[in-house]
Amino acid sequence: MAKTSGYLKADELKTPLASFKNLEVQIGKVIVEEEEWEPMGPTPKPTLAQLRSWTVDRLLKRYRPFYAPFCDRCCLCTYGHCDLTAGKRGACGITIEDTQGRIVLLACTIGASAHAGHARHMLHDLIKRVGPDYPINLGNDIAVEAPIIRNVLGIKPQKLSDLEEVLDYVENQIVQGVAACHTGQEGSYIDFEAKALHIGLMDFVGMETADLIQITALNFPKGEGDAPLVEIGLGCIDPEKPMILVIGHNVIPSVGVIDYLREHNLEENLELAGICCTALDLTRYNPGYKIIGSIARQLTFVRSGIPDVVMVDEQCIRTDIIEEAAKVKAAFIATNEKNCLGLKDRTFDPVQDIVEDLVKYAMAGEANGALILDGEKAGEVAVRTAMKLAPLRKKFKNVPDKKQITEFAKLCTECYDCERACPNDLLTSEAVKAAASGNLSLLESLYEDCVGCGRCSLACRKDIPVKELIDAASQSQIKSDVYKVRVGRGPIKDTEIRNVGAPIVLGEIPGVIAYVGCANYPAGPTEVAKMAEEFLKRRYIVVVSGCSAMDIARYKDEEGLTLYEKYPGDFDAGGLVNVGSCVSNSHIVGAAIKIANIFARRPLRANFEEIADYVLNRVGAVGVAWGAYSQKAASIATGCNMYGIPVIVGPHGSKYRRMYLGRSDIDEDWYVYNARTGDKVYVGPTPEHLIVAAENMDECIVQTAKLCLRPNDTSKGRAIKLSHWIDLYRRKYGKDFPDDIQKYIRVEGDIPVTFKEDLMRVLKDRNWKPSEIPDPTLYERLVKAKK
Amino acid sequence: MAAKAPTPWQSANWGGSKNASVLMSGQVAAKMIKKKKRCLLIVSANAIRELDGKRLVDYAVEIGKAGIPVVATANMVKALREAGFDKAVDMQLADITNRLRDPKWKGLDGKGHYDCVIYLGGIYYIQSQSLSTLKHFAPDILSISLDREYQPNASFSFNNLKPSEWKKELDDLVAELKA
Repeated sequence: MAKTSGYLKADELKTPLASFKNLEVQIGKVIVEEEEWEPMGPTPKPTLAQLRSWTVDRLLKRYRPFYAPFCDRCCLCTYGHCDLTAGKRGACGITIEDTQGRIVLLACTIGASAHAGHARHMLHDLIKRVGPDYPINLGNDIAVEAPIIRNVLGIKPQKLSDLEEVLDYVENQIVQGVAACHTGQEGSYIDFEAKALHIGLMDFVGMETADLIQITALNFPKGEGDAPLVEIGLGCIDPEKPMILVIGHNVIPSVGVIDYLREHNLEENLELAGICCTALDLTRYNPGYKIIGSIARQLTFVRSGIPDVVMVDEQCIRTDIIEEAAKVKAAFIATNEKNCLGLKDRTFDPVQDIVEDLVKYAMAGEANGALILDGEKAGEVAVRTAMKLAPLRKKFKNVPDKKQITEFAKLCTECYDCERACPNDLLTSEAVKAAASGNLSLLESLYEDCVGCGRCSLACRKDIPVKELIDAASQSQIKSDVYKVRVGRGPIKDTEIRNVGAPIVLGEIPGVIAYVGCANYPAGPTEVAKMAEEFLKRRYIVVVSGCSAMDIARYKDEEGLTLYEKYPGDFDAGGLVNVGSCVSNSHIVGAAIKIANIFARRPLRANFEEIADYVLNRVGAVGVAWGAYSQKAASIATGCNMYGIPVIVGPHGSKYRRMYLGRSDIDEDWYVYNARTGDKVYVGPTPEHLIVAAENMDECIVQTAKLCLRPNDTSKGRAIKLSHWIDLYRRKYGKDFPDDIQKYIRVEGDIPVTFKEDLMRVLKDRNWKPSEIPDPTLYERLVKAKK
Repeated sequence: MAAKAPTPWQSANWGGSKNASVLMSGQVAAKMIKKKKRCLLIVSANAIRELDGKRLVDYAVEIGKAGIPVVATANMVKALREAGFDKAVDMQLADITNRLRDPKWKGLDGKGHYDCVIYLGGIYYIQSQSLSTLKHFAPDILSISLDREYQPNASFSFNNLKPSEWKKELDDLVAELKA
């Protein structure tokens, strides 16, 4: 069923009670019968507690929440602070476990809200642009246009306005999730986690909605593997031209810039490029524009003085970026209700007046700007301001020269406060000390690994701008920072799913690995590229999105080629698939769902539990969020987990406070039903964890290969997967076989031929006994025939 | 005059009301370890750090050879083997922490719960999180950080030390364990 608006007009109407003339009735919404595309499944629009049989009774029984509290206290109400250390309870009765679960749920609601709010704003703006009845059509190769929406809500959106109903539902669920966090509300960590998983699921509905909106209304690529390559990097901008920098996630104001440039034939006269996902999306709209890089590059690029206008939209934008813009005399425009930054609303002022004021503020170095809540108008203002301001400010920058670096460095007292403020313990003290004697090489060596937070500068008791010194010493690196990235292609085609469904489910394509998320890396961005290439060479399918998709481009081989130039963009073995921005993450889970639906013909409509059960047991997909930092990343990871897709986070991800860890030593946790017989069968710890933090890249690589194992693997598929895992283990861990290898071999045929003799000896020593390969499910009701 | 209270190495990393006592010396740490019945050494991803020509894994090997079972997290089992120690069990840091917090877990050898866990070579912030888990959910375990940065979530930790001071304390600790 779908809702739509209705209108009734009658010149004359007689009823037993009254007569009407010239009657007109406007009804906000009436229920109309939707096209019957598939019988309705058991859980349309599930509410907060409706999927507990999956979350509480299955996932969280096997993958129990593991907490590493980031803070020992609760300070959410006026009874606090409450000390919850080691078994103490708060004034409301809450425990440390409960409060960790609550924080996780809050993080997930914040993350899911960010995507859903983004979707809501875009839907509002783009319905104005193309109309409510604009059809959702992703082309002939994509019939299942919205696998997550179909699976969760049980509706099939056909036009843009159908997505209103989807967002109504998501917003309602998020409100219920936040409500559960109130003091004296939910009081069980398991149920906080069940709600976090539910909200993670809502996040995927919201993300899919957001990307459907922009793909549809802005005509983004619709799953083409050969989407164009575009330039990325801090050095890709022509410094002779006026330049607009956009930062954030909502592409609408960037579209305003692009449209204005096109309409006024200014495309060759001005540079437009972005930081973070808005950059990825503006190249999906028009691949003639460029990407500066991930969120880590905000300070460095703004301080370079190259942008004449800094225009921000929403999410992951430094809150001090307006002050940084002022320091380089750049104009500043905010464009989103969620991020007004204290600026005066200029939405309805004449463009000329706004431009003059922005130029005046910029040239005065004043941290001021304009709030323009209309993307089209913001685009025009940005272009006209950049053209006017560029010749005046002459790329005024905030980068010390070599002499100034040395002078600053001489102030250093070697107190180590900068190092102690650095999230990654970079050896800044040593580098500053070397700079005092004119050696800038140590400062320059820190550039690539710096996450760009700027805390080192703020920590210095002598006001040495440490971050600025690193950037200043790295100018030659910055100027040559030019790479190629493939434009985000959006969804995976149904035709691709038909080709790879069987080899993935049988294990012959050893896995689908998604490198997603932010840029808070433990040791620089190139690690993500190195990990991706390891698995590309092994012919896994590698999918990327967001800041990871950008940073993977920042790595070239000996021939100067990036991974995007070396590997095809198809969803196939050895393919490197850039789906796009954060909200495009929905297509990764969407592909797993499509495997269940299109390849395995499992009913999709409002049938969440069966599909998630299928994905957990059969689809060897793993997410890697190596630099995850945000609440959005928390909700995305939790949403993947809800669908049974395990996630590895980098060491900073341990600060999310919670992992879902399996216990490979507790055998009873690893039984499934064999759907062919109804028997309960031990399948080993596959996958072992749902979300776990790794300490370094080598660990992450080995664990990624391991987490691709699934109970459903055929012997041939399992042997392929084991051969990769064992080979990587040998190279990275220096031992012949993992200590727990016997748990992952069900029958002799699972053993890779190359290791057979040695491994059989190991298995004998460890008292290994063969078991069976089931048709696995966690639901008794999905057993087809009982013995 | 009272001694200055220790501060976390990463200055904002205050957990709460219960913070580590400062280890006055490596020798004291060794004596505490020797008094415990079931100790475990966790060697983590930064154990390849060098300290005046000697790597942390070399200290880990000496501690392991003194009879303390060793868990190598990340891929440190390779570095330990290369340093001549092949008895380490490899586990992820999250995994071993998860088992340590479980009072029913019988340990690597099946002989029961550990009463003392020693950390060496940790990445500061993830080690802090592991120590936090033990502080809250396994308060019966004495946790000792042998790294040079003060870890408030441990039961005992060195204060923030200069590399030369740290090396001396580790040398003294190993000597006392062997004594």
